[in-house]
Amino acid sequence: MSNQRQASSASQTPHLSPAELSYLYTSLSLPKSPIRPDGRSPTQFRPLTAESNILPGTNGSARIGFADGTQAIVGVKAEVEKTVLSTDTLASSEGGEGEDSTSTSNSAAASGHGSWVQMSIEIPGFRDDDALPVFLSEMMRESLVGSVADGGSDGGGDGGGDGDVTMAGGLKGRLVINKRWHWRLYIDVLLLSQPLSYPLPLLSLTTHLALLSTKLPKLKSQGEEDPFFDDDWEVAEYLYPRSSNLKAAGNASQYVRPPVTLLVVSVGENIIFDPSREEIAVADAVLAISVTRDTEAGNLKLLSIRTVDPPSRLTQPAVPNSENVNMLGATAPTEDIAVLNPATGEEEVPGVWRPRRGGVKRSVIANMVKTVLKKGGVGEEVLEGLEGVEVE
Amino acid sequence: MKSLRRDLSSNPQASNVASKVFVRSTKSGKVQKIVRELYLRQDIPCSSKLCSLCPSIAPSDANGNIAPFVLSDRPAGTKAFPRGHYLVPDTNALLNGMDLFEHTGAFYDVIILQTVLEELRNQSLPLYNRLLSLIKTDEKRFYLFFNEFRLETHVRRGPEESINDRNDRAVRAVASWYEEHLGASAKKGKKEKSVPAIVVITDDKGNIKKAKAEKVTALSLSEYVSGLEDSEKLLDMISEAREARDSKGPIGQLFYPEYLSMSKMMTGLRAGNLHQGTFNVSPYNYLEASVKVPAFNKPLLILGRDNSNRAISGDMVVIEVLPQDQWKSPSTKIVDEEAVTRNDNPDSEETEAVVSQNERKALQEEVKKAHGKSSEGKPQPTARVVGMIKRGWRQYVGHVDAGSTGSQAASGRRQQTVFVLPMDKKVPKIRVRTRQAGDLIGQRILVTIDTWERDSRYPTGHFIRSLGELETKGAETEALLLEYDVQYKPFPKSVLDCLPSEGHDWKVPATKEDKGWNGRRDLRDLLICSIDPPGCQDIDDALHARPLPNGNFEVGVHIADVSHFVKPNNAMDLEASVRGTTVYLVDKRIDMLPHLLGTDLCSLKPYVERYAFSVLWEVTPNAEIVKSDFTKSVIRSREAFSYERAQLRIDDPSQTDELTESMRNLLKFSKILRQKRYDAGALNLASPEVRIEADSDEVGDPLTDVKTKAMLDTNSLVEEFMLLANITVASKVFDSFSQTALLRRHATPPPQNFEDLINQLSKKRGMELDVSSSGALASSLDRCVDPENPFFNTLVRILATRCMTSAEYFCAGAHAEPEFRHYGLASPIYTHFTSPIRRYADLLVHRQLASAIGYEGEDGHAVIEGVNTRGKLEDICRNINFRHRNAQFAGRASIEYYVGQALKARGEKMAAGGTDTGIDEEGYVMRVFENGVVVFVPRFGIEGVVRLEDFVLPGEAGSRSVSERRELAVHRTTHFDPEEYTLRVEEKGHPEKERGVDVELFQRVKVNVSSVKEEGRGAGKRRVRILITG
Repeated sequence: MSNQRQASSASQTPHLSPAELSYLYTSLSLPKSPIRPDGRSPTQFRPLTAESNILPGTNGSARIGFADGTQAIVGVKAEVEKTVLSTDTLASSEGGEGEDSTSTSNSAAASGHGSWVQMSIEIPGFRDDDALPVFLSEMMRESLVGSVADGGSDGGGDGGGDGDVTMAGGLKGRLVINKRWHWRLYIDVLLLSQPLSYPLPLLSLTTHLALLSTKLPKLKSQGEEDPFFDDDWEVAEYLYPRSSNLKAAGNASQYVRPPVTLLVVSVGENIIFDPSREEIAVADAVLAISVTRDTEAGNLKLLSIRTVDPPSRLTQPAVPNSENVNMLGATAPTEDIAVLNPATGEEEVPGVWRPRRGGVKRSVIANMVKTVLKKGGVGEEVLEGLEGVEVE
Repeated sequence: MKSLRRDLSSNPQASNVASKVFVRSTKSGKVQKIVRELYLRQDIPCSSKLCSLCPSIAPSDANGNIAPFVLSDRPAGTKAFPRGHYLVPDTNALLNGMDLFEHTGAFYDVIILQTVLEELRNQSLPLYNRLLSLIKTDEKRFYLFFNEFRLETHVRRGPEESINDRNDRAVRAVASWYEEHLGASAKKGKKEKSVPAIVVITDDKGNIKKAKAEKVTALSLSEYVSGLEDSEKLLDMISEAREARDSKGPIGQLFYPEYLSMSKMMTGLRAGNLHQGTFNVSPYNYLEASVKVPAFNKPLLILGRDNSNRAISGDMVVIEVLPQDQWKSPSTKIVDEEAVTRNDNPDSEETEAVVSQNERKALQEEVKKAHGKSSEGKPQPTARVVGMIKRGWRQYVGHVDAGSTGSQAASGRRQQTVFVLPMDKKVPKIRVRTRQAGDLIGQRILVTIDTWERDSRYPTGHFIRSLGELETKGAETEALLLEYDVQYKPFPKSVLDCLPSEGHDWKVPATKEDKGWNGRRDLRDLLICSIDPPGCQDIDDALHARPLPNGNFEVGVHIADVSHFVKPNNAMDLEASVRGTTVYLVDKRIDMLPHLLGTDLCSLKPYVERYAFSVLWEVTPNAEIVKSDFTKSVIRSREAFSYERAQLRIDDPSQTDELTESMRNLLKFSKILRQKRYDAGALNLASPEVRIEADSDEVGDPLTDVKTKAMLDTNSLVEEFMLLANITVASKVFDSFSQTALLRRHATPPPQNFEDLINQLSKKRGMELDVSSSGALASSLDRCVDPENPFFNTLVRILATRCMTSAEYFCAGAHAEPEFRHYGLASPIYTHFTSPIRRYADLLVHRQLASAIGYEGEDGHAVIEGVNTRGKLEDICRNINFRHRNAQFAGRASIEYYVGQALKARGEKMAAGGTDTGIDEEGYVMRVFENGVVVFVPRFGIEGVVRLEDFVLPGEAGSRSVSERRELAVHRTTHFDPEEYTLRVEEKGHPEKERGVDVELFQRVKVNVSSVKEEGRGAGKRRVRILITG
């Protein structure tokens, strides 16, 4: 168990020989034009299968299968809940919940509260209180509810009414029905396969897709009345407003969207998206980058970058000929001249595998962020791709 | 990035699985998405007798029989459809024309779609129920087609398609399927010619257009009806609701505020800012209503049309309390809609104001009064209607206001708008459009209300049918039954099928081996007799008493064993539970059970053996009960006495036979029991009952038929033992069924109900009424005696009775045990057991008691089924309480009508010989208003309003015609003292004392009673006019 757990905390290291690792590393780190084992360009994703609304009983659901065989299903359920209103005197003592301490309960009623979104992740072989599921779910939940454009200063009171255009206050604001009532979202994530590679991107994309397909019953009551809903599911409104015409993709990308988390690795100076297992095994650094679009302006916003423990650290090192007793005298000493790896600043003998020690240059990270965020960059590509999944 | 979607089209199962998705909001506020899967099938038959395909595929029951096909093979044709046609109405057609579909002259062979039925249920529950009963009857040939479950006719909702459009499409799909299906089946059977047309009836113009495009025959309701015979009459029956909305276009001036949305009302109700209750209009003042809400002890007042906001008596409304400065005291004035709004024109919408000038004046005076009085500080909280939960609209009996028909009335056939005055004074005039105005004048007609728009002062309705001429016996009796919702149609065949096949020849089995004797005790030897009103045919009860060797007595009450004949949950039982009670009119009895049972097989007729349910007590000579016993039995009544005959026999000392002795014993015990009951605090309440003996000869004075009920000792003999039996049974049943026992309670009235009466008594007579308990009330009522005025005591009792709540049936689980108390009888527990032939409650109690004593029925099966779930029992209680009340009202109204007719007959006789002078009687003032008084005339058991013009001032000719007297009203002036309950009526400009009349509360007055023809609402009834002559 512990073995599995450790392995999946990053990824299962493929059993590659040091020579293979070294070969991989060298071809991936070729300046400007890395050569990937499957022939993809650095920013190219493997094909994936995705469908949404697969669970009729939920408010929204999705399934995504990656090319490596990992699959996840996400279901979103929404429930109406009474907002607990406390008087101002109580407000200060009741700050709990890990929300910023300045927000009183009353402002929570207007701009929403992070605890209204509940997420649970199930990974085969893990208990629900194991570190990985808990950590993953909190990571995803935080980026969901934290992605607020401007602190919800203008309130989300009208979030339910004309959600087709605005979504002030982000997801939290959208969940506000009125001062006394709100929606509570339950997001259930189910990983169907063994976690072969680091599961966060898969789970994040599936959750994103499920949220895109999530609908809330149309509100009929107005203002501060007790909520009263239209019983016609056809007129239910999307949690994240969608353009009525998907073909006009031009402005389809202009809406607020839930965050996605992408896995990026750096090998030498190169950055590589959607790394395969083998690629992760030789990466200098593995990063999870979360981006979102939280305004109508259309610019993506970087939410977080997390470094992931690179598995290459655990690989077996190779021994240069110069240090190999068996090879003593068999080779010319000049063959083994150590050179400085520009990416890591370490001395290495070319062709001889040395476990990476982690660490990444600032310029590489900047490059990654730029590739993700720029107009027409990887981030937009991913969002557009998910947007294109037919909802009905 | 590329994504793929799984393709489902290759799944062969996909086409016959569909799903239905909707949002459900639960009471607790949860909102759920509900997904129901539908498995479509192909074996749902078309149910046309023409079809040769369906009989082979239709699902069969366990015996291999398929349900009989409904639609005729020779459907009626019209000019447009000479080969016959089947109708497929959509929901709107049913909403607008349900009365048409019920009409017996047309609308046969109708296919009702499941889609339509469900939609109708959401829109109008009463119409839904009416449609269901139409489907159930065979003669109209309505077929409920489950189109949503049939593969070919199931319609999937398209993207962006509204529910309405989808349902319309479903109707069209069914029509075209039927056409194709019947065509195919006809081709197979080679009788192509006879395929009937399928006609969609819809009032949706878009739907008609689409139907044309799809080659489906579709007509609007009025188009279709126009092609029928008798179309003029039928066209009147189409609901006005939609037409009015369509034709008017931009809405004119809005008179009434809009109702709150459902969600607003719910928020308000939950928060306690708004209240919900039933809207009750005052019988004396149509502008004043009260709503009893759970939050307050006393009902809230609603004054004026603005505040009532289109509510009609009986509606379930949501109200909001008005600010305190708008609180008022209840009206002290009699206001008749008739009198105030006489000159309204039904056609003119422009000149309408919600509050007409006259009405406004009436209200202003109210306000002044309230203000003047507020120094004494008794304004009542008032409220206004802000929302409507449920309309209590039903069909109303009324007649066309001849004054509203306009000059072209005679010219006939043009459609015009008239006012219909409902018989029920609490219901406003109804605006009805009709083409038959000329014919309808002078007829009792049935109308219904369709809508009450914000821009209309009166509700709009439509004509249903005519009951016959005003004042004819048939029309008036039917009117009465309709008005009180009494089921008077003959029993259907399914009910009659439940009767024993032997009919009148049924007998108690001769040998005791027969299963009919199982669990029955043989009481044929006992000297049992029955005592009832003269001419009674449905004898529920019989009694006996006999001495026991130990010096005690055995007393028995034997009740007809109706539960033996009426088995739970069969058609007869269901019919009886709907009827609830037998209704007694003066000249007619509407039975709860078929004639055969009520008057023969169950009835404890003398000299024959009958099944009975007996309660036997052993009592000491002092009427202490030693033990009681219950058993099913077989008895043979020795004699059926009338009260008088029984009394005579008891009083006759020469009669010393055992039967007479037994009756004397019973009488003795009953007196002791009665005394005990009064000692315990039972009330002796009076209701002003008169009895009509309709069988007397025609030549005499018709009024001699009207008799006040005489109270003989034998009346109370029977009464006492019935009470005792009911009480004994009640505690037995409650012991066995602590949750589901059917009991009867009379709630202790809240003391504030008596406030007015206490006030009046102390002011006028210096008497006190102690309402702290029923015993205290009983003894203080006994003290309310006026030596000068023997009737005074009865009058006070009548008034006191009206302050109380009415007794009700309930299910034991619904109340805590202390609440079971019967206030009037001062008994801690009570039920009804003794009249199962005429009350459904008693029948249920019989079943419960049978089960409680372990009676296992003829074949050893327990027979308690059907009465053991509380929810069902509570439904039954609600219904029988309602029926019981209505039966009482109907009975009273019938007597009132009869008295009126008798007076009329007398008047005509007198008029033949001279002038109609009416009849002089004594009356008592029950209530004093600012512009009139209410007088009770004990001789006829009627009370009537005496208006200003009906006071005969000294020195004035006694009787003048109604119209002459009406002129007088404007010359009259009054001095009303609400604190002293006095009213002085005098002529304007003649303040001399001797020219006026003073009346005060409780005063005995001389009245002249006559029946007069009034143009107003009472037209049919011939209002009984009471003149105060001194």
